[in-house]
Amino acid sequence: MTPAALLVRREIATALRARWFAAYAAIFLLSGLLLAAVGGGDALIAGYRGFARAFAGLVHLALLFVPLMALLPATAAIADERESGALEYLLAQPVTATEVYLGKWVGLAAALGLALTVGFGAAGAVAVARGVPPGLLAVLFGQVVLLALVFVAIGLGLSALTTSRARATTVAVVVWLGLVALGTLGILIAFIRWGAPAWALTVWTFVNPIEAFRLGVVSALDPDLSLLGPAGARIVDRVGPYGTNALAALSLALWALVPGLAGLAVFSRPK
Amino acid sequence: MIRARDLAKQFGHHRVLDGITLDLAPGERVALLGLNGAGKTTLIRCLLGLIPFEGTLQIAGCNVHTDGRRVRERVGYVPQRAPHFDGTLAETVEFFSRLRGSDHGAVARRLLDLGLDLAVHGAKPVRTLSGGMLQKVLLALALGSDVSVLLLDEPTANLDPRARREFLRGLRQVREETTVLLASHRLADVEAVADRLLVLHGGRIAFDGTMDELWARAGAAETLWVRVPPAMRDAARARVESVVHTPAFVSNGTAFGVRVAHDARADVLATLREADIRVEDFWTESPSLGSLLSGALGLPIDDSSAAGDRE
Repeated sequence: MTPAALLVRREIATALRARWFAAYAAIFLLSGLLLAAVGGGDALIAGYRGFARAFAGLVHLALLFVPLMALLPATAAIADERESGALEYLLAQPVTATEVYLGKWVGLAAALGLALTVGFGAAGAVAVARGVPPGLLAVLFGQVVLLALVFVAIGLGLSALTTSRARATTVAVVVWLGLVALGTLGILIAFIRWGAPAWALTVWTFVNPIEAFRLGVVSALDPDLSLLGPAGARIVDRVGPYGTNALAALSLALWALVPGLAGLAVFSRPK
Repeated sequence: MIRARDLAKQFGHHRVLDGITLDLAPGERVALLGLNGAGKTTLIRCLLGLIPFEGTLQIAGCNVHTDGRRVRERVGYVPQRAPHFDGTLAETVEFFSRLRGSDHGAVARRLLDLGLDLAVHGAKPVRTLSGGMLQKVLLALALGSDVSVLLLDEPTANLDPRARREFLRGLRQVREETTVLLASHRLADVEAVADRLLVLHGGRIAFDGTMDELWARAGAAETLWVRVPPAMRDAARARVESVVHTPAFVSNGTAFGVRVAHDARADVLATLREADIRVEDFWTESPSLGSLLSGALGLPIDDSSAAGDRE
């Protein structure tokens, strides 16, 4: 087994042992099951009918939990070991800093993917039974995994850039709040108060991973839904629902790589 | 085995290492001494390739700059404080053995020789192990792959006396051809391990020689404490005065102490034995490393190493 494979395996084992892993999987599973169970039926509830209600519930669940599920362990991944001295001991072994970083990245991503598969899989099975089309659920699952990878990359990048876990976590939560708040409020304020040009709103929608995720999954469900928002409606109108979904996936994929690679560049650089 | 040429390292405006040139032969046991901040840990981190530096550094023929992985394959490392890894002891030993390409069984045997049975302790979480046990684990891991160089960065600094003795005993298992570099603040550790001393000061090597040479340069003396029956105390003092020309006696009520040169301890005990004076107990109290370095090299006394060693 190569050092890289050993490091990935160790990271997965560490995640599987950690309390956060079991807790997140359980919360996601229970919430998903609940939403999927009550989301069925034809009654109109809060503006949603039938499977759209179960689907929208899963989308909001993902938006609420997945970024934090990914951010918190990722910000701890390097900062914790740096504080305890474990990182220096590890780097004193016949491995490179790049291997250590990539091992953590791949291992964390795999562990989170497993947690999401467990939680989302069970909820998805119930949702399918209640009428949600499997193809639609597959799109949602793919975007959820991408969203998790985005925040793993952001968290790991911050963990490499900062000197302590406390600082890394603080910055990560500020980033998360900023993306959530600016994602919704920023668009509204820019549109209403300053009359921001339509292209700027379009760009912002894809620059913000939370917005990109929301747009991607909702456009797959129903491009006419009012919750697409003004920017989303314009995008769907221009590139169609499939194009919107592809652009959203591209945005998420870039987010899932760039912060992580920036962290890798810093971590691997001689100190 | 270790070859450094004009090794230098600067943090901001502070030049911690300033042109170190040294050669350590295979099998040499070398102690790295110096006051706090002298650059001992920085030198070890350079040797491991953990930080960039100026100059050239080779270990076992491999360039640390360009071939860090191969260097670290040949180097075992025990830090001052063992990190608390996630997982059990058995998992940790297996992971690092595989990472180092060591035979897991060999590491387990090393651990057993050090008094730690994996069959008994393997299932324990590493976080629950004592500092002494963890240092033994790191030593076993370092020695498991028959390394060419063993780097020890104040490995006993956080251990209690018993754990320290056990760790030092474990060092006897090091192969003869392995070069050992021990950074330490403790005279007793240095005397137990090293036959050559390097003293770092001002970023340079201020002393390179043997312990005897350092003692001689310092002119320093230890206090030899001797406990004899009260009725024999006067006779004992008289005998001691015959071998120590200017004895400086001190007393703590039950024993008397005499300042003697480092190599004169045996003479004192021998003369008491010759006079049939029963020595109930004896021990030596060394000056602190800081005061020894101060006496030998004129370095300022470092409070962190002010405590003497009692052996």
